[in-house]
Amino acid sequence: MCGIIGYVGDADALPIVATGLKNLEYRGYDSAGIALRDGDLTVYKSAGEIDDLAVPDASTATCGIGHTRWSTHGEPTDANAHPHTDCTGTVAVVHNGIIENYDALREELSEHTFTSETDTEVIPHLIEEYREAGATLLEAVEATIERLEGSFAFGAVAADEEGIVAARRDSPLVLGRGESANFIASDVTAFLEHTRDVVYLDDGDVVQVGTDGVSITNGGEAVERPVETVDWEAEAAEKGGYDHYMLKEIHEQPRALRQALSGRIDELGGGVDLDVSLPAEYLNSMEEVQIVACGTSYHAGLYAAKLIERHADVRASATVASEYRFEGGRDPWRTLVIAVTQSGETADTLSAIRAADRAGAHTLAVTNTLGSTVTRETDDTVYIRAGPEIGVAATKTFASQVATLTLLSVFLGRERGTMSADTAGDVLSNLRNLPGAVQQALDRTGVIEEAAEEYGDGDAFFFVGRDLGCPVALEGALKLKEISYDHAEGFPAGELKHGPLALVTERTPVLAVLTEGSRPAETLNNVKEVESRSAPVIGLSSHPPAGKFLDTALSVPDLGVLEPLVANVYLQLFAYYVADMKGRAIDKPRNLAKSVTVK
Amino acid sequence: MKAVILAAGEGRRLEPLTEVRPKPMLPVVNRPLLEHVVESVREAGIDEVVLVVGYKRERIQSHFGDGDDWGIDIEYAVQEKQLGTGHAVLQAEDRIEDTFLVLNGDRLIDASIVRRMREAPADGDTLIAITRTDDPSELGIVETEGDRVTGIEEKPPRHAITSEVINAGAYRFEPGAFDAIRDTETAGELAITATLDRLAADGEVRALRYRGTWLDVSYLWDLLSVNASLLNGSALDVPGTARLGKNAVVTDGVALDSDAWVGPSATVLSGTAIGANARIGANAVVENAVVLPDATIGSGVVLRDCVVGENARVGPNTTVEGGPADVVVEGTVHEGVGLGGVVGDNARLGGAVSVHPGTVIGNGTRVEGGAAVDGRIPSDAEVRRG
Repeated sequence: MCGIIGYVGDADALPIVATGLKNLEYRGYDSAGIALRDGDLTVYKSAGEIDDLAVPDASTATCGIGHTRWSTHGEPTDANAHPHTDCTGTVAVVHNGIIENYDALREELSEHTFTSETDTEVIPHLIEEYREAGATLLEAVEATIERLEGSFAFGAVAADEEGIVAARRDSPLVLGRGESANFIASDVTAFLEHTRDVVYLDDGDVVQVGTDGVSITNGGEAVERPVETVDWEAEAAEKGGYDHYMLKEIHEQPRALRQALSGRIDELGGGVDLDVSLPAEYLNSMEEVQIVACGTSYHAGLYAAKLIERHADVRASATVASEYRFEGGRDPWRTLVIAVTQSGETADTLSAIRAADRAGAHTLAVTNTLGSTVTRETDDTVYIRAGPEIGVAATKTFASQVATLTLLSVFLGRERGTMSADTAGDVLSNLRNLPGAVQQALDRTGVIEEAAEEYGDGDAFFFVGRDLGCPVALEGALKLKEISYDHAEGFPAGELKHGPLALVTERTPVLAVLTEGSRPAETLNNVKEVESRSAPVIGLSSHPPAGKFLDTALSVPDLGVLEPLVANVYLQLFAYYVADMKGRAIDKPRNLAKSVTVK
Repeated sequence: MKAVILAAGEGRRLEPLTEVRPKPMLPVVNRPLLEHVVESVREAGIDEVVLVVGYKRERIQSHFGDGDDWGIDIEYAVQEKQLGTGHAVLQAEDRIEDTFLVLNGDRLIDASIVRRMREAPADGDTLIAITRTDDPSELGIVETEGDRVTGIEEKPPRHAITSEVINAGAYRFEPGAFDAIRDTETAGELAITATLDRLAADGEVRALRYRGTWLDVSYLWDLLSVNASLLNGSALDVPGTARLGKNAVVTDGVALDSDAWVGPSATVLSGTAIGANARIGANAVVENAVVLPDATIGSGVVLRDCVVGENARVGPNTTVEGGPADVVVEGTVHEGVGLGGVVGDNARLGGAVSVHPGTVIGNGTRVEGGAAVDGRIPSDAEVRRG
């Protein structure tokens, strides 16, 4: 996936586009480029990070587009970097997405000179064809998208025409509306410091962006799209005194959780207000809940599936989105399919939810991103309200996802009459105490930093837990491998003896979730198995067992079924400090991008 | 003009609350002291702030971010070790090019004096805000002739106090001050007042008199009195996400933060601030109290003149009867201070605990139901009914 930005206004475009790209860096960072337009078109692009892009100190151009790339078609090289141009260098395009029929188009355009291996390059050449036949840039883009198969959000400029023309299908694109300045971008964080008034574009929209206004068409018809105000702070794009976004976001968790819960809990009545339109009759006839998600969101889904089964007395499961099919044996009318995605743009999750929708199931999105594609493709949306997350390794959004899904489990339980007000009140009281408990874990950063220093050079790391501790073990291992590049694996504690135990030595630290909700007594038996093979053990527990089994004990406050979620905060910090110690690029781990919008 | 705000202080006399947060993050009226200072600076027309942080700086950084919530730019300079206020100012040096202000992050001050300092004509002098107080001990005494400062002495012994004019802790310096600080020779910590004293000896320091709010939080009970004095006369404002149970009584002079919850028939009286997501149980009576975020006050609890830490839980029918009390801080007895008690962050009090006036319960300490507690109980302790 990639990030794009465009600016048209009365100020110098270069610094605005460059800063915008910097803010989008989380979407990819293996090559970058900028095209500036002021009667002429000048393109600067190269492989490498945005900071390494050679651009002039100043330029008077007031219109420009930029791109930061995460390679899918063609290696990260100077030639493959965007913007791509037509044969004469008159048209430049930045694109996010995948053009599936680019081979066929390239053959058709064989008279054109292609300079890269990318799928994108067919777009400027198609535009060139139409412009040579007399079309304006806008008309050429409208004609071009008719020819494209696959997903795209792109912006195009032409040397001899004012402004930018942009279009989208299945890839994210938003418009920013300022005074005498308008923006296009993959994500609002690109221009949030300039304006908070945004327009979310629909599939098939083509937009002509000028200094003083924009006009949107869809299928050749003029359309109006509402202007919405984003309440995210631009500070989210800045590190506020922290060395890394990841650490900043870990420390933001108490605040993010308060926002996730704010106004949604009625502790006394055992009620939850989620502002969703799921009729009681539907919920009562529901026979199954399926959660589809990827990566960290999938782990949140695993956690939630267990809670939903318990609280709502309904069969529930979590499935990796890329593996999802609406399989037989279930009635779509009685199945609720929940998509969990931070960005709301995850391609695998979107295609899973589309499959569920086609089968006729009711769909619900749990996401962090207002106006994202998933919110438009599902029947209902619940926001996790975590605020923007920039670090590629998801931290606060995992906590907010689990908290929000726990609310949902109570909501379902109460609506279906399977959970008493009393039991619901207990869970809600734990939820209310969650921000404070997370703060308590954060206040013990020093202990985990020491543990990271002591055990960080292990050969491999194993994370174990049972029940609700299992998804947390998986998540802890994922964090560590993502940012420290160490070999880390998470599994159900009981599985240790069925194989992985063979790998355990005194050089493989084991991190064990031993809190409430993770069947600590049974897991402790597994801890003894690894202890007797001399592996160092770091235990996370609300009632620490006899110290002799643990080399480091980290205490978790009493919090019922949410204790494993607090334990996860320690695991996030462990991953962070191990990676930091090894000097890794924590916010931009190699080969990874934040929201993956390719399948 | 930039303002440098010193916020690296630990505040050991305010333990246990400062074991997990720096002193500037202690809340009055549900906002950290430092936020009140930042707001004064902004109201005075300054939009660039350098926060000098150190001890537990994550708390400050997570709260203020880059300052966008306040419409200003906030940068951070880190003071790794607490080597005095002068040393703290030096940490901001590479972020300062022009005349700049220095303020204390834990001392409330009106925007008016900040504005006067900003607007005072530049003549190369260093400026210091001065005010009067009835009890100048433990403060910086300023000697003046007209508007010239002739000397500053930090916390002189009581018998040596010659003036009631004190240093309000707000200064304006020229960039040359950094060299003056470096050239100041001191035995121990490098205090900014030592440099000011030296500059004053050369006749280069001018005083600005100030009669507005000047509130300092030195001790735990100051938190209650400063909180109450800021709330005094304010009308009750219930945020949209806060909830009041049936027959709950909440008077004017009370501040409720978002998602605060007051249970049925509970009574919350003036001088009280209830933090975000905190919960007051049914039939509880709370008066002149500072309740930090996420705290849970059980049913039927009586809390008077009390500070309850973040995420602390106070069991049903526990009684904090209120001050006055004699409280020992760092070996000194303070007699008759208005402190009913302090419950540390994450502490757990069982039901029907009796808290004697002036009791300070540490962070994470567990007190068994029915126990009677008194004096100072360390953090992470376990108190059984005896």
